[in-house]
Amino acid sequence: MRDSERSPENDRESVLQGTLDMLVLRAVQLEPMHGWGIAERLEQWSEQILQLGQGTLYPALYRLERQGLIDSKWRVTENNRRARYYSLTAAGRRQLAREMESWQRLSRAINLVLRASIA
Amino acid sequence: MVYRSGGFGIQSALRGAWRRLTGLWRENEINRGLDDEIAFHLEQQTAKNRRAGMPPDEARRAALLRFGGVEPLKERTRDEFRAAFVQDFWRDMRIGARMLRRSPGFAAATILTIGLGTGAATAVFSVVNGVLLRPLPYPDSHRLVRLFQLSDKGARMNVSGMNFDDWQARTHSFAGMARYNFWGLTPAIGGSEPTMATTAVVSREFFDVMQVRPWKGRTFAPAEQRVGGAPAAIVGYGFWRRWLSGAELDGKALRIGDRLYPVIGVMPAGFDYPNGTAVWLARELNPPDTSRTAHNFQAVARLRDGVSLETARADISTLSRQLKQQYGNDTWMFDATAVPLLEQMTATSKPALQMLFGAAILLLVVATTNVSSLLLARAAARQHQFAVQLAIGAGRFRIARQLLAETTVLCLAGGAVGAVTSIWAVRALVSLGPGVAPRLDQANVDWIALLFALGVSMAAAVALGVMTTLGTRGVPLSSTLAEGPRAGTGGRRSLFVRQALVVAQVALTLVLLAGAGLLARSFVKLLEVNPGFTLDEALVVDLAVTNGGTDFRTRRVMLLDSILERLRQLPGVSQAGLVTGFPLGGGNYANGQFIEMTSPDEITSIEAFTKLGPAAIKQRAGFAGYRLVSADYFQALRIPVIRGRAIEQSDGPESPHVAVISESLARSKWPGQDPIGRFVQFGNMDGDVKGFQVVGIVGDVRELTPETPPSPLFYGSYRQRPNSIWRLSVVLRGPDPDAIGPSVQRALREVAPEIPVQLRTMQGAFSTALTGRRFSLVLITVFGGAALLLATFGLYGLISYLVAQRTREIGIRMALGAKSGDLLKLIVGKGARLALYGTIAGLVAAFFLSSVVQGLLFAISPTDPQVLAVVAVVTVLASVAASYVPARRATKIEPVSSLRA
Repeated sequence: MRDSERSPENDRESVLQGTLDMLVLRAVQLEPMHGWGIAERLEQWSEQILQLGQGTLYPALYRLERQGLIDSKWRVTENNRRARYYSLTAAGRRQLAREMESWQRLSRAINLVLRASIA
Repeated sequence: MVYRSGGFGIQSALRGAWRRLTGLWRENEINRGLDDEIAFHLEQQTAKNRRAGMPPDEARRAALLRFGGVEPLKERTRDEFRAAFVQDFWRDMRIGARMLRRSPGFAAATILTIGLGTGAATAVFSVVNGVLLRPLPYPDSHRLVRLFQLSDKGARMNVSGMNFDDWQARTHSFAGMARYNFWGLTPAIGGSEPTMATTAVVSREFFDVMQVRPWKGRTFAPAEQRVGGAPAAIVGYGFWRRWLSGAELDGKALRIGDRLYPVIGVMPAGFDYPNGTAVWLARELNPPDTSRTAHNFQAVARLRDGVSLETARADISTLSRQLKQQYGNDTWMFDATAVPLLEQMTATSKPALQMLFGAAILLLVVATTNVSSLLLARAAARQHQFAVQLAIGAGRFRIARQLLAETTVLCLAGGAVGAVTSIWAVRALVSLGPGVAPRLDQANVDWIALLFALGVSMAAAVALGVMTTLGTRGVPLSSTLAEGPRAGTGGRRSLFVRQALVVAQVALTLVLLAGAGLLARSFVKLLEVNPGFTLDEALVVDLAVTNGGTDFRTRRVMLLDSILERLRQLPGVSQAGLVTGFPLGGGNYANGQFIEMTSPDEITSIEAFTKLGPAAIKQRAGFAGYRLVSADYFQALRIPVIRGRAIEQSDGPESPHVAVISESLARSKWPGQDPIGRFVQFGNMDGDVKGFQVVGIVGDVRELTPETPPSPLFYGSYRQRPNSIWRLSVVLRGPDPDAIGPSVQRALREVAPEIPVQLRTMQGAFSTALTGRRFSLVLITVFGGAALLLATFGLYGLISYLVAQRTREIGIRMALGAKSGDLLKLIVGKGARLALYGTIAGLVAAFFLSSVVQGLLFAISPTDPQVLAVVAVVTVLASVAASYVPARRATKIEPVSSLRA
């Protein structure tokens, strides 16, 4: 039984529709990152629960760039390889803040509802 | 300052342009470097897997598996890209519209120019669509064909009754086959007024072949389709509305010829086959035709389902060649063919319409080219904006998309203007040319035409977008930025493209003007042709007499005598001449074979005729048009009597029958001999076997249009040969022909209340004969004129721009003492040189396109040097005038202020 053959549904969550953009923005909030790094970071942060389909990551990166929320540049990695690095723009920063705030409100509301039903 | 184009091969330029264009699209994807990005991602994952202790192959495989499909990923990214393109394009269009609103003058000029081009193209397309393309209004009309006998020379002929019967019985390719005899305008009495109704006599299969059912009433019953059966008539919708007041049919009947036809049915609106027919009668009332050489019928047929036109053609051709073998000299049919009905109907108007459509497209190209130079000029002024956009990383593609969005806004607006204009233009065209082409009156701007307008607008938009993009490329970024926002030279490439565009406009304009010039010269040549009779104003009265009754010959002569007498006595009438085939149309243009005789009664029967034997018949036969006239006719039309005498009033029913022949008949039948005094048997025209004696020779006339060569004509006296008369015209000459119309109408109603009458003037009749030519001429002249105007403005714009560019240089020259005359020469020379290039290119193009107009010309060659010279001179002069205005402005430049600027 190899890691890669496990179906993500078993113990991993696919990313909730609509939150992917926010997560990507969040991943590049601190420093510019390439696509693989973004995927890795999101996996680590979520303790391997969130696994990004690459089929959604790259289109999302393109979309965000076109919307002017992130920027990209080809740079050389520490291992001397060329990679495309994505970084947050000012507009992206504002967008991330807005989305995080609304997400937190939403998740708090949902938690409240869930707790109420348990009680 | 002329751009030297050395080493600028057209092919390599085109290849380069194509590469750049496709590159623009792909550039985006390549720029994204998606492939590299994926490769990098996989590498990273592989490395991670190896760190986790996998063997190299395994690590790579696991990375690939985990990544998932590479192609679907690319496809999804491309989807994002496409969606983005549409969204951004829409946004760019809105920006473009906003920018246009900010420069209303520029917007109006370009939109109107594009509107002119698309409007002309759409209008002509609507006519082409209405006449040539739209299917006929019968079910499955594309399965309908006309059938023709072919002569030994392959000419299409009518069919004889017996040959038709064989076709019908022995072919297998047709679901149905009908024959008809087109009578044309025929007097019909019994409606609200006596009138002339276009009449056809049709066989019993006719309505089934056409698959048309009456809108009201019924078609012929068997009892109405046999010899001696009950006569019945079916009328068209328009006739029913106009002449039968749209009332119930009970008791309505039309008297046509010697029979009274109760009206039993009304055909639906729009059905008027053949050729505008308003009254259909049953052929079977008359005895069957037992001749194989009386070519009285036209045939129409419907192809059997699943049978191709080629198969049907082969079928009827094989049979007809068999029939020729079988009957030998008893039939003149050597072969037969089937022609699609629509093709047959539009064959004569097709070349002119095709030429006009080509001309409209040329005008559209000139308009687009013109706008292209305007856009390039504007793009040059915006060079700085683009440079800034490029510098901050917009990408060439981004700018191309923006330009395309702007031209799309322009062309869609222009196309809308054009579509609206074309509605009006088509109405004008239809009113300009009744009778120019069948169905022209039904031409309109329908949704197909609107789709066409949209299509050409979008094509123009793309062409303009591409031209502008290519024209603005190749400008070095750094220099443009360095020059600052005001300078914007536009670069050498842009200038070269703009000069090329002006040259192209001049060339295309020349082609259009050459076409207009050739048609105009043909028209003038036609007007110069002596038709053989005077076109001086006169009143032409068209009449038709009906057959029937006892002793109708005597009564007909008496009726026509009294009509002529009454009209001659009207105040204001000096001469009244009667003819059965008026030279400008509206009569009976029968022609046939006659036989020369040795005495007035040598041959008075078919037996005597056949006894002559084929050789003698061939030697004695002649061919001529057969017309009957009154004594005053030749004088009324100023047709000169060349030898002998004209027909006289004294040539009455009791005296020997006399004939006058035209010069060309004298020449062709009796070359080098004296025709006067000879005897002729022409009884096959009217059943009267009394011989004619030739008493005179008159001048030739050209019938129907001046372009037909004079045909040999044979004139008899209406008083001696009344049998075959039905349609006739009376020419009234007097000081003021227009004024006598009402009194003519009144007089005729008194003398002959049952006769339908139509009045027209000589000039009107002549003008009608030239309608088709005038239609083409007016249209192409308008196109040529519009193109010339556009090209002139185009050149004016370019020269003005060049002058503005060189204000400083001109100032220096002036300061150094250059004379204004030299400056004028320099600048005008520049414009003239460009015009000359265009003129030469246009002449070459006109030469290669000459076959397009060849068939539409009269008496001149399509490369007529005089026309081409005049057109070239006009083009160059207009160009010089266009360059003179800005050149003049240049000489007014103040050296000091220009240097300070």
